[in-house]
Amino acid sequence: METSKPSLPIVENFSRRAAVKGGFATLGAAAFVAAVSPLRQAAKNTTAAEFMQQHYTELSPEQKSDVIARLETEAKEKHGVDVHISDDRPIPGTKFVYAINLSVCNGNGKCVEACHKENNHDRTTNQSYIRVIEMPKGTMDMEQGSTTYTGAVPKDDKFYLPVQCQQCDEPPCVDVCPVKATWKEEDGIVVVDYNWCIGCRYCEAACPYHARRFNWKEPEVPAEEINPDQGYLSNRVRPVGVVEKCTYCLHRTRKGKLPACLEACPTGARVFGNILDKDSNIRWILENKRVYILKEELGTKPAFFYYFD
Amino acid sequence: MSNTATTESHISSYPKFIGRSLWLATEGSFGFYAWMTMLTAIFLVGANAWANQVAGGMVGTNMTDQVSWGLYIANFTFMVGLAAGGVMMVIPAYLYHDRKMHDVVIIGELLAVAAIVMCLMFVVADLGRPDRFWHLIPGIGKFNFPISMLTWDVIVLNGYLVLNLHICGYLLYMRFLGRRPNPVWYVPFVMVSIVWAISIHTVTAFLYCGLGGRPFWNTALLAPRFLASAFVSGPAFIIVSMILIKRLTGVIGLDQPIATLTKIIRVTILINLLMVASELFTEFYTGGSHVSAAKYLFFGLHGKTALVPWTWTAIGLNITAALLFLWSGILSERWRPLLITACAMAFVGTWIEKGMGLIIPGFIPSTLHEIVEYVPSQLEWKVTVGIWAFGLMIFTIAIKTALPTLKRPIH
Amino acid sequence: MPRIASLIFVCLIASMVAAALVAPPQRNTDGSPAAEATLESNALADESSADAPTHPKPPTFAVTVRRPDGPPRIELAGSDPQGRSGTVACSTCHSVRPPDLQNRTAATLNEFHQGMQFNHGTIACYSCHNPDDADSLRLADGTRVDYSDVMTLCSQCHGPQATSFAHGAHGGMNGFWDLSRGPQTKNNCIDCHDPHAPSFPKMIVGFKPKDRFNAPHPEPEPH
Repeated sequence: METSKPSLPIVENFSRRAAVKGGFATLGAAAFVAAVSPLRQAAKNTTAAEFMQQHYTELSPEQKSDVIARLETEAKEKHGVDVHISDDRPIPGTKFVYAINLSVCNGNGKCVEACHKENNHDRTTNQSYIRVIEMPKGTMDMEQGSTTYTGAVPKDDKFYLPVQCQQCDEPPCVDVCPVKATWKEEDGIVVVDYNWCIGCRYCEAACPYHARRFNWKEPEVPAEEINPDQGYLSNRVRPVGVVEKCTYCLHRTRKGKLPACLEACPTGARVFGNILDKDSNIRWILENKRVYILKEELGTKPAFFYYFD
Repeated sequence: MSNTATTESHISSYPKFIGRSLWLATEGSFGFYAWMTMLTAIFLVGANAWANQVAGGMVGTNMTDQVSWGLYIANFTFMVGLAAGGVMMVIPAYLYHDRKMHDVVIIGELLAVAAIVMCLMFVVADLGRPDRFWHLIPGIGKFNFPISMLTWDVIVLNGYLVLNLHICGYLLYMRFLGRRPNPVWYVPFVMVSIVWAISIHTVTAFLYCGLGGRPFWNTALLAPRFLASAFVSGPAFIIVSMILIKRLTGVIGLDQPIATLTKIIRVTILINLLMVASELFTEFYTGGSHVSAAKYLFFGLHGKTALVPWTWTAIGLNITAALLFLWSGILSERWRPLLITACAMAFVGTWIEKGMGLIIPGFIPSTLHEIVEYVPSQLEWKVTVGIWAFGLMIFTIAIKTALPTLKRPIH
Repeated sequence: MPRIASLIFVCLIASMVAAALVAPPQRNTDGSPAAEATLESNALADESSADAPTHPKPPTFAVTVRRPDGPPRIELAGSDPQGRSGTVACSTCHSVRPPDLQNRTAATLNEFHQGMQFNHGTIACYSCHNPDDADSLRLADGTRVDYSDVMTLCSQCHGPQATSFAHGAHGGMNGFWDLSRGPQTKNNCIDCHDPHAPSFPKMIVGFKPKDRFNAPHPEPEPH
């Protein structure tokens, strides 16, 4: 970059050169401003309040309700929809655990769709937190699976392995986040503060289960399809450029309801519950079924189990 | 070079020094102006592409949730190596008291400055939310230290930048004042910078090799490999720079440092190849699903072969360069074009090996063993080339500023 | 001079090591702003935190298993002179006809049962249907069971499934996992399984992610 000498006593014969240099520097600066002008568009979408917003865990109750009110207003302005954003905290004495019966799952993909709708995912990409792998019977090697299968299911020589966030007890994604934008809460849910994430995608690289998704563009959801029952840490429409993930539908489950993917499952393969409750369904499964976890050798300690009848 | 009275206070002499440096850095021949104009133009194209990426979202890149890092992080990794490679001048100069190397060691330090600036630019280019960059600043933001290796990287990279800025700035400033540099003010920092140079590339390797879910990266050999290849690419770049500096500015006394660096590459390039070979042996002889990324990289998997040409090009370039460096004639001044060719081959070979050949296959197959290929988009190339142009601008200006020191060493 | 230099160098290294030791590794798993939950979760949390936190509140809402409406009725094919079509109970015919206790296939059935698919092992019709009362079912020991209690009948043979069902591991559910906050409904066996052809039907995959660079590819080649 051409830059001029800061002090310009207009004497000696370098004054002409200095003027020329100054001219070029100005030209260069102007060209630079023109080159980065698309940033003005991006800046318009970020309010000062959003820019200055503190980390979720450092917000006072008043700040939190201000933030939520602001997000609700923004949703109204942007999508023309009245949404309710709640801030559900973990229920004391609860640790959420999920289990899927692989003998029953037939890979129909209803859970994928339910997640898509419940969590206000981008419509153009059919985004979802769940991916189902079609696996040949007789192997647990995902290398031999396929996620792009279509048609009538189940195929006779295949079984189906739905994968979503495993809400690990030793989550590698949380460890690697440079700004603590993602953390594990007391009920075991790994959450993301979408207003704190810087979008470096280190967590996506660290997750062994392909559980994280990045908002490569602004999510597009038609107003009439937006699920207005939203959570700050879960299914509110995400900003562009941040990472998101399955939260076991915490805006539902922390109100005692079942996750959307479970309710949508036509085969009854999915089971959800509180592992600290010794009478829970999930405890019975862990105690009575042959259970296994994905990539156990990585030591991530998932709160997600697969079992066979 | 002005000789300011030593009694003058730094408050007035330092701005004079800065002004003088900037003036010097923007003086030059027609060729220099043409070079700088070209770099500025390329940089502006890159800046524009980046602004569009920020405004429109990163959908303009060809990265996906499966391959979530691409050309930017590949270049970032390589540039860290380039920055660390400068230490191959510092070690002979300060630890082995190589007087000739000592006279021109500032080239390596300035390269480190330019390379680290590029690293930081590549990281910013890769961020989905560059507006939230302040979340990374310790104290103001929330810094996940020491668990996140990325925070270590932020510390070591910025630390290395500051160290080198201090060392170069101090030496040039003393030169401007016409004083002899006081070793107390720079030798300890040089010693720290040697350790620090190793640390930046080690930490950068730890970013990747600590991830259990990515078998291709999850190897203890990654950090040594990174260092070995850094000590190829860094000296290779410096050799070419030195040949150019000698030809364009008439700085003398560069031939012996060039020979030293050539001898260094002669060893490091073989060490690097040895490590690549032992990595590949372990992968392919063991087999299993651990090898699928390497299989994809070298032979393609399920009919997907996007990286195969890249990696064989890299292997070819590296091996040819290694053989050229082994030939003793390459040290002779008659064979400078061949030396430049060998350096260029080693440089490009390392760039591919560390970037497209290491970062990308870490994601292919994905953790669910999907094979989603990645080829950088036009936007990514624009941003990348723009950052390279900016780095070269910094390096050119820095070398120009240091020319008086290089031409008449203080010793 | 070099001595001072190396002294400073050693000090710097030592301070780095000290800094690393002083800052102990911490996982940011807490992230719990304890008291600042919103209204709805506050109201709920207060009650449960009054008890010992590891003992959830006793269930206050019921688990409802959906029940069939009762004995099936047969649609009449024709209509009466007034143009009304109607339904009749099984017993309309079966109370006056002798039961064929041996029949175990749909092929021999006619009239109202024509075209019926039967694929439920080799059991006879009257293993489940009641020859004495066509509007009910019967257990293996002859006990009469209402159609609405069909699950009792299924459970005779499908014990493991019944056990799993009782523990939520079969059949799915809707509503609340936490019965202290709301009710739960569960499917009946015959909601998903046709009693005459109980294997779960094949389905068509209707929803797939539209990845930019992950087009459906043919079967992966075997290794």
